[in-house]
Amino acid sequence: MGDKRYSASELMAIMTAKEFRDWEVAFVGIGIPLVAGITAKRFHAPNLNIVYESGCIGPQKYRVDFNVGDSSAADGALCLTSEWRVFSDMQCGYYDVGVLGAAQVDKYGNLNTTAIFGGQDYQSPKVRLPGSGGGNDIGSNIGRVVVMLRLEPLRFVEKVDYLTTPGFLDGSPGARKKAGLLGSGPAAVVTDKALFRFDRQTREMYLDTIYPGVNIEEIKALVGWDLKIAPQLKTAPEPTDEELEAVRAADPANLIMGGAAARKSLAGLDEYIEITVKNSGK
Amino acid sequence: MTDRNNANKQMSLKDAVRKYVTDGCSITFGGFIGRDCVAAAHEIIRQGIKNLTVIDDSKTDVMDLLVGAGAVKRWEGAYLGYGAIGLAPNIRRSVEKGVPLKIELEDWSNAGISMRFLAGSLNVPFMPTRSMLGTDIVKYNQRIKLIEDPYEGATVALVPAAHPDVAVIHVQRADVMGNAQVWGFTGNDENKARAARHTIITCEEIVSTEEIRRRGNMTLIPFYCVDAVVQVPYGCHPQSCYGYYAYDVLFCGEYHESAKDRDNFLRWLDRYVLGAADHLAYCEKVGWDRLQKLMGLERRFNRIPG
Repeated sequence: MGDKRYSASELMAIMTAKEFRDWEVAFVGIGIPLVAGITAKRFHAPNLNIVYESGCIGPQKYRVDFNVGDSSAADGALCLTSEWRVFSDMQCGYYDVGVLGAAQVDKYGNLNTTAIFGGQDYQSPKVRLPGSGGGNDIGSNIGRVVVMLRLEPLRFVEKVDYLTTPGFLDGSPGARKKAGLLGSGPAAVVTDKALFRFDRQTREMYLDTIYPGVNIEEIKALVGWDLKIAPQLKTAPEPTDEELEAVRAADPANLIMGGAAARKSLAGLDEYIEITVKNSGK
Repeated sequence: MTDRNNANKQMSLKDAVRKYVTDGCSITFGGFIGRDCVAAAHEIIRQGIKNLTVIDDSKTDVMDLLVGAGAVKRWEGAYLGYGAIGLAPNIRRSVEKGVPLKIELEDWSNAGISMRFLAGSLNVPFMPTRSMLGTDIVKYNQRIKLIEDPYEGATVALVPAAHPDVAVIHVQRADVMGNAQVWGFTGNDENKARAARHTIITCEEIVSTEEIRRRGNMTLIPFYCVDAVVQVPYGCHPQSCYGYYAYDVLFCGEYHESAKDRDNFLRWLDRYVLGAADHLAYCEKVGWDRLQKLMGLERRFNRIPG
């Protein structure tokens, strides 16, 4: 995003944060989804509680998590329990919203986090991805799902190579219920250029909100089907300074947003510890 | 099971692995990308054990190292990756290129595989779940059976009980009798220990049975599930151990960068695993000073109340 005052990842976190409501229980993964959750707590959802699949319910976020089982994921938790218990609680309907990343999404919101076949197959794919983890379970049985991924070539496809996590399956009426799934399915797809939602009748993904400075043609060129546009297409507001400050405070060493480059720019463990302690409020 | 019970099950990591982890066995590891059995994985690699079937939920270093070292034949599980750091380099090389060996894959979801351990721990043949329905997980994994619920009629998925030959579980503290106490989240560890034929407990600290009795609620795995108790301080590094040390994100990041190249990975393995006689030698290579700093960081936030 060059000379912009924010990065694509920061904008994605801010747009995702707006999807949470106060007092919801949210099943989030590490990385940008967590940054979004922490940001939401600073603004409109102070009582949002986060659950991690390792078995951590309602932690307080003193420091950044890099994995769902980091000891930081358990800091100040309301309840520390088992993995099978939190998935069972999800199946009982206690969790309102889940945030999922993916390598590919199709027009019915089905996700692939298992493999990019690239002309090959499941056992010998071009790129092997991590697999479902808890993604399938969230897509199956949580209240509603927010999907996060960048709008890049070959990510928004007519059909995913491997359907890891169910969206609206083949889009037919009642497809999820017929399959035996409990949750209501995907509610939004947040990208770095636009936000998409799903038609209530056809279950097809449509362009709902476009980000500042992005045009429709640019988006259509990156989507692998004939994308429909909302009759009242919205434009997202520029993120405020307060929102950007909240996102950056949730990732003070920039190790989530900045990746390997940010890790290398740290002088070493001492600097990492100093930043972590300084920003923890402890 | 009573023949496994005695007053003292403490042994060295070398002896515990030699006795219970054998070529071709099936194995599961405790923790959930946090409280991982990294030291045990190193020892399995040092002993040159091969053809393992790993049955597990979500793994990071443990599987990436074992697969890179050519110790794994088959994976039945849900997630192999490095969280916010990225994909697992050795897993990719194995699956995409067959280097050093091509592992067989059987994909599950985390809830699906959790139900396999729960079934194993209940000694029932299978469990129903509402996960994985309608997806390619079911298409490629023939062991997931879809049935109509005989009571209410909706479709549910059945998953078979898991009974790994061995479970290795790292905990904060245990006594020599085998009572294992966990502080923090517990993953699927109570069920893995019960589903497995043999269980090795590795721990940060050995405490007295009297101390165990002071906090019986913390005993996740009682002595009768346990075959061996091994003290392995810093046994999760570079992963975290709640209340003991924080995640070493920079060390893990360096590993991840070097493991992207096969030769660099082999050099890393030589330096930290094969070139270290045991876990203490590994700790020396990492640096006691570094490990103590990670403990200092963690204990600003968490420790087992005294």
